[in-house]
Amino acid sequence: MPLDESLLNCVDETVLSRRGLLADSFRGLAGVAIASLLGQDGGTNRLWAATTPQPSGAGTPHFAPRAKRVLQIFCPGGASHIDLWEHKPSLEKLDGQPLPGETGVSTFQGKNGNLMRSPWPFQPAGASGKMVSSLLPHMARHVDDIAFVHSMYSKSNTHGPACVFMNTGSIFEGFPAAGAWVGYALGSANENLPAYVAIPDIRGEPPNGQANWSNGFLPAQHQAVVIADHQPVRNVAAPSGVSADEERATREYLNFLNEKHETQHPGSSELRARINAYKLAARMQLSAPEILNLNAETAATHRLYATADPNPLKAAYGRNCLLARRLLEQGVRYVNLYCASRASGVDGLLNWDAHKTLKADYERHLPIFDEPTAALLTDLKQRGLLNDTLVLWTTEFGRMPTQQEGVPGRDHNPDGFTCWMMGAGVKGGVSVGATDEFGRRAAVDPTTVWDFYATVLHLLGLSHTQLTYYHNGLNRRLTDVHGNLLRQVLA
Amino acid sequence: MRFRRCWIAIVASAVWFASGGDCLWAGVFEEQVAPILQKHCVRCHQSSTDRSGLSLATGPEVAASGAVEPGEPDSSLLLQVVSPHGDEPPRMPKESQPLSVDEIEKLRQWIAAGADWPKDYVIRVKAKADRSWWSLRPLADASPPELGAHTTAPKGWGANPIDRFILAQLQANGLRPNPRADRAALLRRVTYDLTGLPPTLAELAEFTNDPAPDAYERVVDRLLASPRYGEQWGRHWLDVVRFGESTGFEVNHLVDNAWPFRDYIIQSFNADKPFDRLVTEHLAGDAVGGGDPAVEVGLTFLVCGPTDIVGNSDPVKSLQIRADGVDEIIRATSEAFLGLTVGCARCHDHKFDPILQADYHRLYSTFAGVFHADRNVAPKALLAERAELEARKRALAEANAAADATPNPEIERQLAELDAQIAKLPEPPNLRVGRFEQPAAEQFVYVGGDVTRRGEPITPASLSTLADVTMPYELSGEAAEQTRRLMLARWLVSRDNPLTPRVLVNRLWHYHFGRGIVATPSDFGFMGEKPTHPELLDWLARQLLANGWRLKPLHKLIVMSETYQQSSAARDEAMQVDAGSQWLWRFPPRRLAAEELRDSILFVAGQLNEQSGGPGFKLYDYSRDNVATYKPRDQVGPETFRRAVYHQNARAARVDLLTDFDAPDCAYSVSRRVPTTTPLQALAMLNHPFLLQMADLLAARVAQTAGTQNMSEQVRVAFQLTLGRVPLAEEQIAAEALVAQHQLRALCRALLNCNEFLYVN
Repeated sequence: MPLDESLLNCVDETVLSRRGLLADSFRGLAGVAIASLLGQDGGTNRLWAATTPQPSGAGTPHFAPRAKRVLQIFCPGGASHIDLWEHKPSLEKLDGQPLPGETGVSTFQGKNGNLMRSPWPFQPAGASGKMVSSLLPHMARHVDDIAFVHSMYSKSNTHGPACVFMNTGSIFEGFPAAGAWVGYALGSANENLPAYVAIPDIRGEPPNGQANWSNGFLPAQHQAVVIADHQPVRNVAAPSGVSADEERATREYLNFLNEKHETQHPGSSELRARINAYKLAARMQLSAPEILNLNAETAATHRLYATADPNPLKAAYGRNCLLARRLLEQGVRYVNLYCASRASGVDGLLNWDAHKTLKADYERHLPIFDEPTAALLTDLKQRGLLNDTLVLWTTEFGRMPTQQEGVPGRDHNPDGFTCWMMGAGVKGGVSVGATDEFGRRAAVDPTTVWDFYATVLHLLGLSHTQLTYYHNGLNRRLTDVHGNLLRQVLA
Repeated sequence: MRFRRCWIAIVASAVWFASGGDCLWAGVFEEQVAPILQKHCVRCHQSSTDRSGLSLATGPEVAASGAVEPGEPDSSLLLQVVSPHGDEPPRMPKESQPLSVDEIEKLRQWIAAGADWPKDYVIRVKAKADRSWWSLRPLADASPPELGAHTTAPKGWGANPIDRFILAQLQANGLRPNPRADRAALLRRVTYDLTGLPPTLAELAEFTNDPAPDAYERVVDRLLASPRYGEQWGRHWLDVVRFGESTGFEVNHLVDNAWPFRDYIIQSFNADKPFDRLVTEHLAGDAVGGGDPAVEVGLTFLVCGPTDIVGNSDPVKSLQIRADGVDEIIRATSEAFLGLTVGCARCHDHKFDPILQADYHRLYSTFAGVFHADRNVAPKALLAERAELEARKRALAEANAAADATPNPEIERQLAELDAQIAKLPEPPNLRVGRFEQPAAEQFVYVGGDVTRRGEPITPASLSTLADVTMPYELSGEAAEQTRRLMLARWLVSRDNPLTPRVLVNRLWHYHFGRGIVATPSDFGFMGEKPTHPELLDWLARQLLANGWRLKPLHKLIVMSETYQQSSAARDEAMQVDAGSQWLWRFPPRRLAAEELRDSILFVAGQLNEQSGGPGFKLYDYSRDNVATYKPRDQVGPETFRRAVYHQNARAARVDLLTDFDAPDCAYSVSRRVPTTTPLQALAMLNHPFLLQMADLLAARVAQTAGTQNMSEQVRVAFQLTLGRVPLAEEQIAAEALVAQHQLRALCRALLNCNEFLYVN
């Protein structure tokens, strides 16, 4: 074809060498055609999609970081602190008695009855002897690496706002998620992949859906790209009915038009940025199917993550855990991994929202969560990734120590709950803060989501007061006007 | 107070005797101590904001706090927390620099001397800007600069006053403007600008061949008269008023009766409804057009923001959610009309602008009776008649049910008659226009934004921010709910309110040039950008008022200017001075907005259905139980081939192409879209089935126009339809090779993706 010569030799050798591998996983030959379009300017586009000016984060932290990337595991529905992580012997002793000072108080869904002990015993785990629920046999093996924060409290007792609050620091929609802030600050470490990925659960999106991984008022390139084992990246597959030859010829002609147009309109970095965006898109088209190809993993790894578990929900979550590791390994900055979804129909069926049948609900959810999550942590550790990966476990709020009036379940409790951190820069085997005797309220060192993220940013080498973006009247921060470092969790 | 004694003053010449509560040289406290507390403490520790219960703003509060033990500096909490202990940094202040040694010593001496506080002295935190801030001053009576004889004004730059303002600033910055754009570029620019669509080939041919001196002016008049104008500029306004068609938050159900507001906006723009009228209808449509759906529909403005409808049995949380709902209306209103971030004064006085927490709550009590709800809108008599017939029907039905099991034929007959009568009445439209209730007479400042803490009593009133220039009003707590909103609307558009017209004309400028004279169109405060051309801004605002708040004359004035008609070409020497083109030495090129892009693809493929109005179409699959789920659609049918302004925009629902190209989520008022360039855009443009479908349809259109046999004519037509020009020789040759091998679709797909298609020069 009589095309510009330069187009025909702008082939990225490293990508082309993967042809054989890709042929299976990517709609036959179209992927190969795309590979031929890749330019050689990869080094100049270190930031994935960072083609609009970045006023604050130029990809460099404010000071030496402990962590390079973050995995945030989220259990939507309000996972009970007093049934999972924070042992309350008084609940066992005073089971069935009124909650002192707060008899019959009304919370989110209505009136509360008497104190209710956890349906399962707690057991000591690890060298630290941390008491955790006996329904967490696999996670129990990691407690010596975890810093528990038992004194979290939230501004909202409603799933949607509280979920968004936990992810963005605001109960209102329209604010950037922590992952978006980190992507804005640090960019991507892998030009072929986005900086920020959200992996929703196979059961659906969390409460308030996409507001949880939104770019908010940050430019749109900072939103999370949604990838899951059950849900490939949107629009990443070449259109069906277009042959590899046609695809290649079309893109070559497009590139020819754009290059020509640019020479006639010099001085616009935007035109060049868009030409590069097409090349980056092509790289994503190649790398996304590759990263989603879990078959590249050994049988032992699959066994570890329980990806073939007879419980399809557990197997699906296990596959997403494995995907999370692959993404982190490839340099994705921030991964949101969800275990469960928003409520739909019956409380507690699709997520951790155990209003009426705590025992049945958690005997459904805990086995899904426990083994694959523990496998992911084990795998991160054995591959050395924990050295520079920060792992967070979060939920929107905790649950009441009392039962809901007349039913064996617990209502929402925004006044006290547990989150935890692990990995890069985090001291293991510690428990920071505490709720009161019954788990009703944060009592020792009450901690906000802003404190939590001030610490996360700190571990990433970012000062939470300096990471700002102007929006509607203010230089906004992930930590609003708050945030105190949780020094006790720092290694 | 214990241990009163003299405090040897910190200023050598001044001695302050703290005896009997009287102070000698009391100014020492004001000059030496109060500034420390003001600088370091009071921003957080004042009664209106403090959550820890400690206020350091007034004498009685300090005395009650126990933080200061007069005469005992070492056991005073205040001194302990601001002093470092060994290596430990001081515990306070949390959010600013630690106190200096000198400042700590001054506090020590003050406490040691008895910690006296002049009677009634209150320490207030000052905002960074006061009421003399530029945007709060009256509109200047600016006249366009005269172009002196020595200036080398380019041809035509003296006639339009706008050009004289612009030229003066260009010359002050050592810049000169570009020559005029060529006619094809100019037509494409102004057609996109005013209608959101490209010109047709016929329009292009007509304009480029029209030698008449008023050729351009006739184009402008045609475009401003086009119904497409309202669709384009109405879309801009829908961003500003954060118009969304789902409830947002966790539930996020679709709202199916908000679209009449979108149509009302489009029609209002097309009819060039005076903007003061539009503002009044937005806030108080029931007051100025009660019972008329065409007017009351404006009230959708109040309630089209996100709202939490989950419900909450926790009484405090429930109050807080309600307060958040009112807060959303306050923010939307103050940002859209005033360009002020009044929302920042919810928990404390605004830190940057002269907006008091009391001002926020004046608006709160103005909107305290507004509830997110639907309502039947019709003349009162009609609603009453229907209600009466329905009441009679209910009574009869009850009687029938009570009588016995067998239906009474007489009652059956009467019921049927009532049904017939009801059926004859016109059906009142059910609109998302809110429900209004009379608020409690007593309203209070919520201390620190906390609904459980009542501060000073407050009534509906204008903002003190503008009290020096705009006639204020204050209503009693008994004022009717509707009156509260109507008074606010009248105050917003009163002749002496400088902000509303300034903010409005700046929005116009922003959309015409891609950047406002004030680059932060919804923030005219301290944190916003300063105007590049303040005199021009005020001159335009006065033009707006002189035109009776109509926008079309202003649009015409702007697009007829030489400033607007310049070429967009970049010149090296000018780029070095002003790469952002803020001084307008060229027309700043721009990327198509999301809606313009989708509309244009449909338009060039010959598929755009120009039907106006009615319920919106959806580019997602919607499912709901207690919460809603939105899944983007791969395959879309012709029912979606309408302009994107008619898409039913749900919140937190990702829509291919539109979301990718920065269409906002409408979670909050959007005053400017940040245009991004991302691989996700490329993926959507290359791979979404819609694009392939359109490439096929465009190819069919090309073949139909050019004939199926003549390949070189096909290439020419494809270029003309998409780019409005014929291909260059090498483009033609390469395109023919592409078509020969892969058919027309491949060429069409490349053309729809190319930069030239996406950018306006």
